Amino acid sequence: MDRPTTPSRPPLRSVLLRSRKHTVLGVDPQHLIRWFFGGNASIAVIVLVLIMIFLLREGIDFLPTYRHELQTYRRAGLEFCDIIDQPLQQNQTLSSSLRQAISASLETLSKSARDRRDAAFLLKRQIEDKTTRTSESLSQALEKTPPLPPAELAKLRSEVQKAAAAASASLTYPDLFSAAEREQLQREFAALTPEVTDLPPLLQTLAADFTAKDREARTKFASLVQAQEEFEAATEPLQAVVDELKQHAQETKENAVEFEVLETNRLRLLEAAAKEKDPDEKASLIKEASASFTEAVNLAERIQAITSRATELREQVEKYAQVIEKAAAVLPTDAGTGVARTMVNDVREGIPVHAQAMRKAAAQLDSWRWDKPVSIFTVIGAFFFGTSWITNSSWQDFFGFVPLLSGSLVIAFIAILIATPVSVVAAIYTNQFASEREKELIKPVIEFIQAIPSVVLGFIGISLVGNLIKDVSEWSWLQWVPGFPIQERLNMFNAGCLLAFMAVPTMFSLSEDALNNVPRAYIDASDALGATKLQTVFRVIVPAGISGILSAILLGLGRVIGETMVVLLVAGNRIAIPDFSAGPGAIFQPAHTLTGIIAQELGEVSRGSSHWQALFMVGIVLFAISLLVNWCARAVARRFEPHKA
Amino acid sequence: MSADSAAKAKPPPVVQVRDMDFCYGTSKALFDINLEVKYHRVTALIGPSGCGKSTLLRCINRMNDRVPSARVTKGEVLVKGKNIHDTDVDLTQLRKQVGMVFQKSNPFPKSIYENVAYGLRIHGEKNKNLLDEAVERSLRHAALWDELKDRLSANALALSGGQQQRLCIARAIATLPDVLLMDEPCSALDPISTLKIEELMSQLAREYTIVIVTHNMQQAVRISDFTAFLHLGKLVEFSPTEELFTNPREKLTEAYLRGTFS
Repeated sequence: MDRPTTPSRPPLRSVLLRSRKHTVLGVDPQHLIRWFFGGNASIAVIVLVLIMIFLLREGIDFLPTYRHELQTYRRAGLEFCDIIDQPLQQNQTLSSSLRQAISASLETLSKSARDRRDAAFLLKRQIEDKTTRTSESLSQALEKTPPLPPAELAKLRSEVQKAAAAASASLTYPDLFSAAEREQLQREFAALTPEVTDLPPLLQTLAADFTAKDREARTKFASLVQAQEEFEAATEPLQAVVDELKQHAQETKENAVEFEVLETNRLRLLEAAAKEKDPDEKASLIKEASASFTEAVNLAERIQAITSRATELREQVEKYAQVIEKAAAVLPTDAGTGVARTMVNDVREGIPVHAQAMRKAAAQLDSWRWDKPVSIFTVIGAFFFGTSWITNSSWQDFFGFVPLLSGSLVIAFIAILIATPVSVVAAIYTNQFASEREKELIKPVIEFIQAIPSVVLGFIGISLVGNLIKDVSEWSWLQWVPGFPIQERLNMFNAGCLLAFMAVPTMFSLSEDALNNVPRAYIDASDALGATKLQTVFRVIVPAGISGILSAILLGLGRVIGETMVVLLVAGNRIAIPDFSAGPGAIFQPAHTLTGIIAQELGEVSRGSSHWQALFMVGIVLFAISLLVNWCARAVARRFEPHKA
Repeated sequence: MSADSAAKAKPPPVVQVRDMDFCYGTSKALFDINLEVKYHRVTALIGPSGCGKSTLLRCINRMNDRVPSARVTKGEVLVKGKNIHDTDVDLTQLRKQVGMVFQKSNPFPKSIYENVAYGLRIHGEKNKNLLDEAVERSLRHAALWDELKDRLSANALALSGGQQQRLCIARAIATLPDVLLMDEPCSALDPISTLKIEELMSQLAREYTIVIVTHNMQQAVRISDFTAFLHLGKLVEFSPTEELFTNPREKLTEAYLRGTFS
């Protein structure tokens, strides 16, 4: 611009930044500097776009691939078998609860006899343990050839007797036995030697007692036992037909897949041959290609073997349904203890539903067409609403997204539910009530949590939190908590707790910033009206900072959903939709997550397979969720931002 | 005798400042201030920047308490005859008696209604009817009722600057304070809004005692009954406004009024 009026040379800086005479590669250096700065600023945008493109490139092929797989599933008749096979699984669930009910019922009658028998045998085992050394030396001596002199044997025998007497005297006999019985037991135990193989008489009596009681119980609940056996046996003829069809269908599928592989290979060879210039090479390629030629599988013909059995299958289903309904009708209403009764009642109600489901499934067989094309919407639905994620299956792989999504969401929900109060309250305290010294302690400590590697947290979750939750869940006065006592140490609640811990620093810092940004003037006004500190905080500062706090919570949610290591280690990795019918206790079930599945499986699948693509598809969805959550956080911050006066 | 009878006839001064020294840490901000604010009168505090006008104003409702190390080191401040630094004084009650309006309008990011009702709510008023009445009365007194009665639930931050400042006045008078402190209430406003606020103040003076800090000497002349001139932390002159502006006793006052320094 303005040239310095002094004759001296302008300083270097002005030459660099202002001179218009100098150009670098024909470009004004000012522009170069601008581009350099602008380029650095846009790197983030470029990388983000590249990530999106890469994810989409790998993942978008998933839909056609999965469509093709589902088509094979249908063409080969696997789908047909599953129509019947899937609802039939319910039989196992029902019969296993029946079995449990039976053992619970038998328990009520035979428990005391069994306890007495078991206690006596336990005592005998203890005696034997204590006298092992002496009795072993005796039995070795007895086996020796030529036999030892009787005097030595007698000495060993007396040693055994002494040891047994001492051991039997030192035992504590439980209250299950009366005084006379205890005495008799002690006497009999003292007489135990390896030479006598018969059980002591009292033990024999106890065992006989139990057998009698058990038999009595079984006769009493004979109808229940019989119903259970009938119910279980009812599937057999149906299952036999289904298994036969399944085997046939699977053969078809294997052949079809093999044909496809060979055919693709052959076409590739031919293509290479067409491009090849060297005639020898070309000839050998063509030869190789023709070697891998196979007959295509005649799907229409093979499916005949399956569809022709539809009528038979329907009849079998009807027969099965009638048998189990009959079994349900004879289920006794008074089956022992309360637990058993509820179980039996549940089963009695469950059987007609199951039978109905089977009949409905059988009715579907008619409308099923092997050559009906699989529409792309079906495929999208099968991915986004599919309830099973089954990979490396010998039958059929399914990539249903719901189990993973539900695991991720439940864990994130737990984590946010725990982390929100903790971090927001801590932020309010630190920002408004803490002294300077407290601030100096609290802020760095909370922010340090962020520096803990997540794998270390996962380790803590496995070794510490899991055991802690399990122990606590066994405290008798906490049994009213749904889900207690818990079955699995590694579960969604455990992962949620650790993720909450990880989300706290983010949410704390952002909430604290939000409170800090509340204009001083609001506080002045509230103070001048005579508000107490608490009133100012809860009526003015928190409401004014609520947008920032909400956005902090949402950003915490984004962090929690994207976290991988902790959930992989701690969530239990069971790929199933949590059983929400168990009520709030469902949070103590293990689950798998969107992030965890990618981390766990991506390293093991072959590149480009449908499984690989499915994982990328999961990645795309995860990416979309994160974007959405972040966008919401920004929108919330903007929406509730008070207009600046 | 005559002094006694006069005191009985007239209400006592609402605010009395006696021999007060005030310090921020080790630096003294106010020296030996003596001031009496008369009942239902407007008292203006004028003086050059940094002379301690605002500090003196904030001594009256102890807003200075919030600044660590700021304290009154000598003398006392009485509101309605009660020393406000006595240990039995409830700060929230004091501030209910002594309302304050700030330089920059600072309505809460809440509805107009909630802004006005805030003072009553924090002092425990829950009765909806009483709150409604108080809001209407305060808005009427602040000459806002006719403008805003149809949109009481609108966000206060959507109002214009002048309306916001009048809303702040309405908020301050909702608790029926004895004294209303105003810290340069018009300095951020345009002339028309300033005029409205000045009109409002002369109306309010019928029912409230007002202490106003102002930079604008014409404003002091227009609205105040008494004027105190402060310079470098000292109260140079305190007399009826007309007297101070037409016939100042002190040379310093005269020089300031003439604009020799500011």
